[in-house]
Amino acid sequence: MGTPAIDIKGLTKSYGKLKALNGVNISIKKGEFFGLLGPNGAGKTTTINILTGLVFKESGSAKVFGKDTIKDFRYTRSKIGIAAQEFSVDWFFPIEKLLFFQAGYYGIKPKDAKPLVDSLLNRLGLSSKRNSRLRQLSGGMKRRFQIAKALVHDPEILILDEPTAGVDVELRRDLWKYLQDLHSRGKTILLTTHYIEEAELLCENVAIIDNGKILKMGAPKELTRELGEAGITVVLENLNGLNKKDLENYKYTSDKNRLHFSVKDPDEELPKIIRVLSNAGLHIQKIESNKSSLEDVFLNLTGKGINE
Amino acid sequence: MNWVGLNTLIKREVGRFFAVYRQTVLPGLITTALYIAIFGFTLEQRISEIQGIPYTMFILPGLIMMNTLTNATSNTASSMLQMKLLQQLPDLLTAPLSGLEIALAYIIGGAVRGMVNGILVLLLGVFLIGMPVNNLFGTLMFIFLVSWAFSSMGLLLGQLAESWDQLAMMQNFFLTPLSFLGGIFYSIKMLPNWAQTLSYINPIYYMINGIRYTVLGVSDSEVEISILMAIVLTIGFTLASILLMQSGKKIKN
Repeated sequence: MGTPAIDIKGLTKSYGKLKALNGVNISIKKGEFFGLLGPNGAGKTTTINILTGLVFKESGSAKVFGKDTIKDFRYTRSKIGIAAQEFSVDWFFPIEKLLFFQAGYYGIKPKDAKPLVDSLLNRLGLSSKRNSRLRQLSGGMKRRFQIAKALVHDPEILILDEPTAGVDVELRRDLWKYLQDLHSRGKTILLTTHYIEEAELLCENVAIIDNGKILKMGAPKELTRELGEAGITVVLENLNGLNKKDLENYKYTSDKNRLHFSVKDPDEELPKIIRVLSNAGLHIQKIESNKSSLEDVFLNLTGKGINE
Repeated sequence: MNWVGLNTLIKREVGRFFAVYRQTVLPGLITTALYIAIFGFTLEQRISEIQGIPYTMFILPGLIMMNTLTNATSNTASSMLQMKLLQQLPDLLTAPLSGLEIALAYIIGGAVRGMVNGILVLLLGVFLIGMPVNNLFGTLMFIFLVSWAFSSMGLLLGQLAESWDQLAMMQNFFLTPLSFLGGIFYSIKMLPNWAQTLSYINPIYYMINGIRYTVLGVSDSEVEISILMAIVLTIGFTLASILLMQSGKKIKN
C-alpha cells in the first residue's frame, strides 16, 4: 500500500474548555472518495482546518502524502484544494480575475492557469458570469465558484466542507455528478457532510464523527450491514398455508395478514423472503422496505439522529 | 520563496485600491487643493512667512506626509480587516504562502498607495504654487520610507483589530492628532516650551520636518535625526508586522 493521501493521527484540539477534537485518526488512500459524517459541531471543520493550516493543532500529527502539514506546508497545501463552507465575499474583482489570483497564490502564472480557468468556468456553468462580481451571483453559483476556486491549481486532493449545504435538489445532484466525475479521474476527495444520502451515494469510505471522536470507519454498505437494522413488511392475502418452519431463519412478527421482518441487509434478504412466501403458495399484495442507512448506523452508535 | 504568489498578492492589493481610486486617491488631492485655495487666497495674506517661507508652501510638505502616512496605514489596515471579516483570508492562509510573503505583499500594496498619494500631492504643490523641490531624491526617499513604515503599522492594526470601529478609533484618536501636532501647520518654535518638548516624542514630527527639509530646505529637527527616525520606524514596524503575521494571532485558531 502506498503512502496515504491524508494521514491524521491522534489529533486533539480544544477551544477553552470545549474539547473539539479528542484523538482523531483518519487515513485516506490516494484516489479515495472519503466522507466525514457527523452532526454540526462534531469536529469535521476543525479537522480539515488543521489539515489546511487554518487552525493550530494541540497534539497529534497531520500528514499529506507523508509530509507534515506544518513543516512542509508549501508541499502539503499545494496538493490540497479546499471549498470552504462559508462563502467569501469580494467587492473588487470579477470572478475570473479571482480565479487567476487564486492560481497565482499557488505559484501558477495567469497564462498557465488560463486553460483550466476556462474549462472550470465552462464545466461549472459560470462562463457567462466570468466578468461579474461575486455579489451578483446566486447562492448556487457562489457554491460552484467555491468549487472552481478549489480546483484552479489542479490539486490531487479536493476537500469539500459541506458542499451541498443550502443548495437546491437540482444543483445538489449536478454537484454530485461532477464530484463523481472528478473522482473517476483520480482525485482524492474528502467531503464533510451531515447528509446521509450524500455520504452513502458518493463515498467509498466514511468516518462517523461525534463530539470530536471518530466512532466508526468503513464502507457505508459494511457499516449499515454491521450496525444497521432494516424492516421489510409484507402484506398477504391471508396467512393460510404458511409453514413457520420456512421462516425459521428470520426475525419476524406476524399480525393478521401482515409479516414484518427485521433484517440486516434488505437488498439481499427481500428476494429470498419473496421466494419462500411464493413457494408456500401465498399471494403477496404489498411489500414495504425501510432501507437501512447510515442514519441507522449513526443512531445505533450515538443514540441520536444526525440532525438532532 | 513563492515569488509568483507574492507577486499575485501584490497585484491584488495594488489593484484593489486603484479599483476604488475615488475613495483612495482622489480625496487627498481634493483636500490638498482646498488647503491651497483657502490658505493661498485668504489666510496667507494675514499670516506672516514662517522661516522665510510663504505659509501655503510651508504647510505643503506636511500635507504630503499626512497623505502619505494615512493612505499607507489605511490601505493595509482596511484590506486586512476586510479580508478577515469577509472570509477571504482563508484563501491566503490555506495557500502555499508563508507569513513573510503575505506580510510583504500587504506592506508593498500599502506602500504603493502611500507613495502614489504622496507624489501626487507633491506634484500638486509643484504645479499649483510653484513649490521648489530642493532635493528630489531625498524627498522621494522620505515618501518611500514613511509609506513602508506606516503601511507595516497599518497591517499590525488590521490584524489586531476586530471591527471597523476599532480601526477608526486608532485613526481618529492617534494618527490624525499626532499628524496635526507634528507640525504640519506650524513650526514648533512657535509653541510654548512644554509643547515643544512633547513634540519631540511624536515620531510624525520627525517625518514632517524631514520632508520639509528635503523639499524646502528648512526644518525644526536635525535632518539626520529625521532620517534615522524614519529608518528605525520602518525596520521596527516591518519586523513587528511580519512576526505577527507569522504567529497567526487573531487570524488563526
